[in-house]
Amino acid sequence: MTFYDRLMSIDRRVIFLCIGLAVAIPILVPIGFPVQVSQETKSFYNEMAALKPGDVILLSFDYEGDVMAEVDPMAVAVMKQAFSSNVKVVALTTYAGGTGIAERILNEAARQYGKIYGIDYVFLGYNPDWSGTILRLGESFKATYPTDQYGKSTGEIPLMKQVETYRNIALLVSISGSALSEYWAIWAGGRYGVKVISGNTAIQAILIYPYYQAHQILGFLGGLKGAAEYEVLLNKPGMGMRGMDAQSVAHGLMVVFIIIGNAGYFLARRAKRLGRERPAGI
Amino acid sequence: MGANIGIWVAAILTLAIFTFLYKDNPFFKFAEHLLVGVSAGYYLVQYFFSAAYKKLWVPVGEGQWWLIFGGILGLMMFTRLWRRTEWISRYPVAFYVAAWAGYVIPSYIQVRILQQAESTMFNPAGLPVGQVISFFILLVGVVATLIYFYFSVEHKGAVRGVSRVGIIFLMIGFGATFGYNVMGRISLLIGRFQFIFTDWLHIVK
Repeated sequence: MTFYDRLMSIDRRVIFLCIGLAVAIPILVPIGFPVQVSQETKSFYNEMAALKPGDVILLSFDYEGDVMAEVDPMAVAVMKQAFSSNVKVVALTTYAGGTGIAERILNEAARQYGKIYGIDYVFLGYNPDWSGTILRLGESFKATYPTDQYGKSTGEIPLMKQVETYRNIALLVSISGSALSEYWAIWAGGRYGVKVISGNTAIQAILIYPYYQAHQILGFLGGLKGAAEYEVLLNKPGMGMRGMDAQSVAHGLMVVFIIIGNAGYFLARRAKRLGRERPAGI
Repeated sequence: MGANIGIWVAAILTLAIFTFLYKDNPFFKFAEHLLVGVSAGYYLVQYFFSAAYKKLWVPVGEGQWWLIFGGILGLMMFTRLWRRTEWISRYPVAFYVAAWAGYVIPSYIQVRILQQAESTMFNPAGLPVGQVISFFILLVGVVATLIYFYFSVEHKGAVRGVSRVGIIFLMIGFGATFGYNVMGRISLLIGRFQFIFTDWLHIVK
């Protein structure tokens, strides 16, 4: 086996180990790479910063445990900015597995900022059929959610008395691990004219750019990097920033592996071609 | 104590899943099957109480009898499970497809086609040079990519040249998508390692 063939057939377990070390070591020994803030994150932050005390935002936890690592820091940071600005939060989730996540984040933020359930924030819970939910909220919040997550009638909750439809929502924030941010922009934004910003996984973020460019989504956070950038703007370091060293090192290693793989491929191909062109006997 | 047990269980299951990176083994299989079983049980209970109970049983009990028709359509969907009765499920499926078409078609046309097309049009007067160049590249990319996917005309001559430009834009887009994919997967691994080092082993604050 030639050197090039060995280069092309490195055991994948060696690569897994290298990636694992590239992620683990920077977490254990922080490096402190700077985090540059992108325009889309600044737009997200500016929309949140433009809210006035007493404004109500609709925060949709459109994710479950599988992408928690990427988008949880975003949701936590949104709650910090909202509660520190005395903005009220009406929260819901479009995923059955999102209820526990949403409760944890809402209750932790409320405890940290001394906010009261029913007055400063409400958790409406999970509704099946997210498409019907998004559309029906434009007609009536109370008809869509007759009770909150804990079974209390929404007509009796003080905060819900000032929220009838999307007209009473200053900003819609979708933290999503799927295409749901697009549907919020299409239905809530396109049909009812609500301002929409979103936090998305990196895989989804690439699909949000056309909406951002067309001002259908006014700002968004892309993946863990987006969460880190948002934390920089808030000056509240969290899980996002802590993961950036590992992210940078792992990405650098991926680039090295791609270069090695391509080098091996092209060199092997060239060697085979030169071997064929060499006259017989030489 | 309860939280500690939960963290230990989560950590052990995380490591069990990671063992697959070496090779398939009974620990991984156990963790995988446990995930499937617990998820199925959790979602069954969630969907039953949030849909069947809260949206059907309770409102019908409060006098909204017309919701029974929705419940009947839902039950008809289960007829798909048996070959002899699966034809019955075509009715609720037809209803669902029709409702979804009504939701989606007008909104998609407005938001994904008309507004997106509108955003590719710009008036360069008064804009900074950088923004004009950016808009121009966007316009070229959109037109060239659309021409690449236009198969009613043979791709030769000028059409072939423009569609090749479209291919370049597509390749750049695929590369960006792959890069974001890598970033997403690495982020999930970072999350697991942060849990292991912070919440379980307490070696990182």
